[in-house]
Amino acid sequence: MLSYSLKRLGLAVAIVSVAMLLLFAMIYLIPGDPAAVALGPRATEAMREALRIKMGLDQPVWIQFWNFFINAWQGDLGNEVLSNRPVAKVVMEQLPSTLALIVGGMAWSIALGIPLGCWTAVKRGGMADRIVGVFSVAVIAVPSFVVAIYALLIFSVSLRWLPAIGAGEPGDIGDQLVHLILPSLAVGLGWVGYIARMVRASMLEVLEAPHIRTARAFGLPDRQITYRYALTIAILPTVTLLGVGIGQMLSSAVFAEIVFARPGVGKLVYDAILTRNYPLVTGAVLVTTVLFILINLIADLVVGYLDPRVRSRL
Amino acid sequence: MKQHTMTRRSFLAAAGAFGAATMAVPRFALSQDGSVLTVRSYSDLQVLDPAFRLSLPEDDIIRSIFAPMVIPQAGDTWGWKAIAVDSIDQLDDVTIAFTLKDNIGFTDGYGQMTAEDVKFSIERIADPAMESPYAGDWSALKEVEVKDKLSGLIHLKNKFVPLWSTTLPTPASCILSKRAMEELGDKITTQPVAQSGQYILADWQPKQKTVLRRNPDWAHEPGGFDEIHILPIEDPATAERGFEAGDLDYTWTSVSSLPRLKADPPAGSVVLEKPSLAYVWLGINQDVAPFDNPNIRRAVQHAVDRQGVVDAAYFGAASVGNGIIAPGLPGSRSSVTYDYDPDKARALLEQEGATNLSVTLDILNQSERLTAAQVIQANLADVGISCEIKQNDSGTFWTLGSKDGDYWNKLQLILSRYSMQPDPSWATVWFTPEQVGVWNWERFNNAEYKALHEQGLVESDNAKRDEIYKKMQGLMDESGCYVFLTHEVVGAIHRDTIVPGLKPNGESLFSEFKAA
Repeated sequence: MLSYSLKRLGLAVAIVSVAMLLLFAMIYLIPGDPAAVALGPRATEAMREALRIKMGLDQPVWIQFWNFFINAWQGDLGNEVLSNRPVAKVVMEQLPSTLALIVGGMAWSIALGIPLGCWTAVKRGGMADRIVGVFSVAVIAVPSFVVAIYALLIFSVSLRWLPAIGAGEPGDIGDQLVHLILPSLAVGLGWVGYIARMVRASMLEVLEAPHIRTARAFGLPDRQITYRYALTIAILPTVTLLGVGIGQMLSSAVFAEIVFARPGVGKLVYDAILTRNYPLVTGAVLVTTVLFILINLIADLVVGYLDPRVRSRL
Repeated sequence: MKQHTMTRRSFLAAAGAFGAATMAVPRFALSQDGSVLTVRSYSDLQVLDPAFRLSLPEDDIIRSIFAPMVIPQAGDTWGWKAIAVDSIDQLDDVTIAFTLKDNIGFTDGYGQMTAEDVKFSIERIADPAMESPYAGDWSALKEVEVKDKLSGLIHLKNKFVPLWSTTLPTPASCILSKRAMEELGDKITTQPVAQSGQYILADWQPKQKTVLRRNPDWAHEPGGFDEIHILPIEDPATAERGFEAGDLDYTWTSVSSLPRLKADPPAGSVVLEKPSLAYVWLGINQDVAPFDNPNIRRAVQHAVDRQGVVDAAYFGAASVGNGIIAPGLPGSRSSVTYDYDPDKARALLEQEGATNLSVTLDILNQSERLTAAQVIQANLADVGISCEIKQNDSGTFWTLGSKDGDYWNKLQLILSRYSMQPDPSWATVWFTPEQVGVWNWERFNNAEYKALHEQGLVESDNAKRDEIYKKMQGLMDESGCYVFLTHEVVGAIHRDTIVPGLKPNGESLFSEFKAA
């Protein structure tokens, strides 16, 4: 297990390094002068040049990358261009809101997806199975921003049950949870379908396995067989899928954060790209990339821990 | 040792309890007691220094927390209202006398506001060493002379007419504590020091909320609410839904939503439509082929159905504009010198042997601009010009015509929108020869225009100014570089329980909002 963990960790470090290189290259390929955008129409050329120097844009690109790379590995993401606040601090202020959104989205998808998957596997071929099948494909196909807008129009504007904008008062957990319901539903609904389909397929396979047949032969109750013996095995592919799902939810979070006017890293990156705030873009994307890789690493380690066959493959 | 294990049953029970608990929390409107006003701004604050502010929402916050000498007057006519000064008078063309109110204090123990602070604050912006983008507001300043503790004289180098409309009523007249700023030794970013306004910045949650609270030490006309909560919401449609859901008391709306909101306003709300100071036009780069030929530029002027473009892009909410100076200001025009005449456009193109022309039109990627561009594209196709629309994000768009880049030598047609302060010089300044390759992307280069612009800055007779600025726009028409489209309109919506403090163009003045 130790050897497996070290190999996965080494792979994660390599992926982060490549991601940093790609990220840096992408940012510098975007047209637009960050100094002109940041300072607005009234700034003189001298002011714009001073800001370019402050941002290090007068240096050759490879030096800029090297500085960024070395500083980033030391945890220094630089300072935000205009307010001069540390980028790490700016990103960390927004990260909890995005994490709450993703955890909320994941909670919706697990809480609905796994029971639906189990249920349809047990009721295979029946009406319920067909209805859930159609529902699953439908929610996978609908983009999260469409879910967000309709949820907002129905539950906030029309019924006025839930708030339409914001993330709730800091320190007021109840208010924050109320503000989280609709955005997390928008982010997580698509994954309800994915997880339901994945769990159903795995369950069907496992329910045919010899040890399940043996359990049935021993006369164990169906409920016990399904949830204790079949689901614990059938859930493994879903755990891996959840790692990928979190990455997808990070991108869906941008739409949810814009539609619900929530703070968050997605919206932070979106705004920073529009204003060519390079240090903020690189810092925020790097943090989310590391987060994504970390979550996938954890998912891999969990699967490796649960399934010895996976450990032997790497 | 007791082991804690999560069973499926206990998980479901906990999840159910969690869901019930969240649903049981009642919804409440922040402004239910009338003491908290919740408004939308289109961006979050980044810099609270009057000399380095970046956006309109920051202007509004700065004016609320650092007492300005004067602010714009709320209502339908442009004017100003005294805030920190007891009196302010123009003694002659180059001298303004002021006297501060006696008991305005700075927070954080920085004492009483004095004329020394006024001198420091104004000269700080004008000082070239400070490199303030707003130094131009005080370009005519010679010095501020302190007469005594509360009064002084502002001496100008020359007469400067826009001083009363676009310098003093902006944050350029906000007064900072000299001692606090010298101790700080840098510009103010997001942490204000020595606040002095009707409100103080009580809390800032980045990207989420800015809270202004009534300044308990402010001894003059108080702000209308105990607290103002300012939510940064970039997307106007999101803000409109937030208002309809009861989460906001006031917001700007998109122009395209105005007809719907006016026809069916949400219960308990008032929809406002205000004239805008913005101007939108189709620009034609006169230095890039085929538009280096003036007759082809004129052909484009005749080919574009301005009414059709504006009706399509703004859903009938805006009217056609005839220049860069908004209605109500000296120099505003009621017509242009070219008309929509596709036959004339075709004749001009034929005369120049310009067949099968293919051109590009650069726009900002916003829905109203795209719709306008598509109508222009169809208009040009009608006279035989093939037009490719190129959409750009804001970061790219605002550098397209800069001489620092390569694209300014390829830029052909541009759909642009600028905004202005309530003085015509704020519109004309961007089209002078010095601005070629900076903000004058059409590369309109006219010495007479430049001379008239300078004349307008020192002319105080409104009738003469009207004549000057109309003549300048006539020169722009003649160049063939411009097809003026609209001044747009500003839409806003508010609860009927509040009276919003708005400038004539609909921009908010947070400190002037009151309960109804």
